[in-house]
Amino acid sequence: MTFFNVIRWIVWKDLVTELRSRETMSSMVFFALIVIFIFSFSFSMDQQAAREVIAGIIWVAFAFTGIIGLGKSFSTELQNDCLEALQMVPESKGAIYLGKVVANFLFIFVVEILLFPMFVIFFNLDVVEEISILLLIFFLATVGLSAVGTLFSALTVQIRAREVMLPILLLPMVIPVMIAAVEATKGALNGDPLTMYSQWLELLAIFDVIFTVVSFWLFEFVMDN
Amino acid sequence: MTSLYLRWGGLLIVAVGLSVLTYNHYQQHLSTVSPHQMKEQAPRQEIRLFGMVRGGTLEGKVKAGDATFELIGNDTSVTVHYQGPPPDNLRELKTLILIGKWNPSDNIFEARDIGLVTNYGFVIGAYLIGLIPLAIFLFAMSRRVELLYEEIKESKLYQEE
Amino acid sequence: MIIHRVIRKVQRFQGWFGGGAALCIIAGLYIGLIDSPPDYYQGEVVRIMYVHVPLAHTSLFAYIVLSVGSIWYLWKRDPIVDNMCHAVAALGAIFTTLALATGMIWGKPTWNTWWTWDARLTSYTVMLLILIGYLMLRTFIDDQEKEARYAAVLAILGLVDLPIIHFSVEWWRTLHQPQSFSMRGVSMSSEILVPLMCMSIGMSLLFSYMLMVRTQLLYLDRLLHAKKGRLLSQFHMSQSDS
Repeated sequence: MTFFNVIRWIVWKDLVTELRSRETMSSMVFFALIVIFIFSFSFSMDQQAAREVIAGIIWVAFAFTGIIGLGKSFSTELQNDCLEALQMVPESKGAIYLGKVVANFLFIFVVEILLFPMFVIFFNLDVVEEISILLLIFFLATVGLSAVGTLFSALTVQIRAREVMLPILLLPMVIPVMIAAVEATKGALNGDPLTMYSQWLELLAIFDVIFTVVSFWLFEFVMDN
Repeated sequence: MTSLYLRWGGLLIVAVGLSVLTYNHYQQHLSTVSPHQMKEQAPRQEIRLFGMVRGGTLEGKVKAGDATFELIGNDTSVTVHYQGPPPDNLRELKTLILIGKWNPSDNIFEARDIGLVTNYGFVIGAYLIGLIPLAIFLFAMSRRVELLYEEIKESKLYQEE
Repeated sequence: MIIHRVIRKVQRFQGWFGGGAALCIIAGLYIGLIDSPPDYYQGEVVRIMYVHVPLAHTSLFAYIVLSVGSIWYLWKRDPIVDNMCHAVAALGAIFTTLALATGMIWGKPTWNTWWTWDARLTSYTVMLLILIGYLMLRTFIDDQEKEARYAAVLAILGLVDLPIIHFSVEWWRTLHQPQSFSMRGVSMSSEILVPLMCMSIGMSLLFSYMLMVRTQLLYLDRLLHAKKGRLLSQFHMSQSDS
C-alpha cells in the first residue's frame, strides 16, 4: 500500500461509515441548529445589530459543531480495536493523519454548507455577491480547524475524560483561526472590499500550512505505541 | 528537616525586618496628613499635606512658582503659600500633596514642593500577591521533598514483609 | 547520557541557586521598595514593575524551557527530562498567574483599568490556558510513557501557536482599539534599571531553584510509587504462593 492509497482508503472508509450510519453528520447538524436557536433567543436583534455579531455567532456554532465531529473521528475507532489496526498500517503514520484530516474536513465543511443557508434565513443576511469569498473563508478556516483538531482527537481518544479534554485543549490553540475567520466573515458580510480583510485570509492560509506540517510530524508520536 | 525550618525561619525574620523597614520608610516619607489633622496636632517638623485646591482661590504667579491658595480636605480648609520650583500640576480643583511646614502663628502652611499623589496600596498589594504564593509554594515543595526522602529511607521496612 | 551529567553537576550547586535567589531578591526588594526614588511619570506605582516584569520574563523563560525539554524528550525519550517538563509546566502556570495578577494591579492605577484586551496580556492568558490544559492532560493519563509523549506533543504545538496567537490578537486589537498602552518610549533610567536587574536575576535564580526542587519532588514521588508497587506485587505473589 502506498502512502496515497492509505490516505484514500481512510477517507473512503470514513465516508462509507458515515453514509451508512449518518451518526456524526446528523448530530452535528442538529446541534448547530439548536445553537442557532439559542443564540437568536439570547440576542434579540435588529438587522444592524445582527451584522455586528452574526460573524461571531456563525463561528461559535461552527467551532462547537466541529468539535463534535472531531471527537467522533477517533472515538469510533475504539470499537472492535480499530485503533490498533490503524496503528499497524505498514506506512508512515502521517498517511493516517492526512486521511483523517481530509475526512474531518469534508464532514465539517459539508455541515457548514448545510447550515449557512439557515443563518441566511434566520438572520436575514444578504450574501449573494460574496458567496464565493465566504466559501473560501469557510474552506481555509475549516482546514485549520481540522488540521489541529484531528491531532487532538487522536491525542485525547485514549485518555480519561476525553469529551472534556478535547475542547479544553483545542479551543485555545485555534484562537487565531477564530479571530481571523470572524473578522474575514464580518468583512465579507458587510460587503467591504477584499483588500480590507485579505490579511485575515493570509493569516488563515499561513496557519493551515504551519499546523498541517507540524501536526503531520507530531502525529507519529501520538500514534506510536 | 530541622535545617529546612531553620532556613525558612531565617528568611521569615529577614522578611519581617524588610517589611518593618518599608513601613517606616512610608511613614516617614510618604504618609500624608489632612488639613484637619494638621490643625489639631500642629506638628513642628516638615509634613506632607493632602487635599484639594479649592476652586477660585488660586492667586499669584503660579508659573513662576509663587502662589497662594486654599487647600481643602476633610471639610477643613487651610491657606497655603507655595514657594518653590515651578509646578506642573498646580491647578484649581486638583488633588495634590504639599510638602512644607505649618506656621501656627499666622495660620499659613508654607509649602516648598508638590509631591506626587501616592497610591501605594497597589504597590504593597502587588508585592504581596507576587511573592507570598511563590514562597508558600516553594516551602511546601521543599518540605515534601524532605518528607519523601525520609519515607524512601523508611520504606526499607516494607522489604522485610 | 550528557544530560544526566549536566543535571548532576547543576544539582550540586542547588543550594547556591537558592541562596543567590534569596540574596538577590532581598537586595532587590530593599532597593526597589525603599532605596530607589519614585518615577517622575508613574510615581510610586513604578515599584510594581520591579516585581511584575521579572515574573513575566520568568514565565516566558519557563515556556521556552518546557518546549525545548519536550523536543528533547521526543528525541531521546529520557524520563528525567519529562520530569523536568512536568515540573516546569506547573511553575510556569504559577509564574504566569502571578505575572498577570501583578500586571492587573499595575494597570489599575496607571491606566485606570484592571483588564484590557492587549496583545501581550491576551497571549499571556492563552499561554496560561495552554499550561493548565497541559497539566490537566497529564493527570488524565495512567501510562507514564504515554503521558510524557502526549504532553510533549501538546507543548510543542503550543510553542508553534503562541507567536501566531500574539500576532493575530495584535492585528485584531489595532482594528478595534487603535490606542495601545505601549511602554515604548519610556526611557529606562539607571534608578529603575538597578532594582529591576536585581529582581530579574533573583527571580531567574529562584525559578531555577524551584525547578530543581520540583523535578526532584516528582522524581522521588515516582520512585516511591514504583518501589511501593513492586513491594506490593511481591507481597501479593508471596501470599498466593503460600
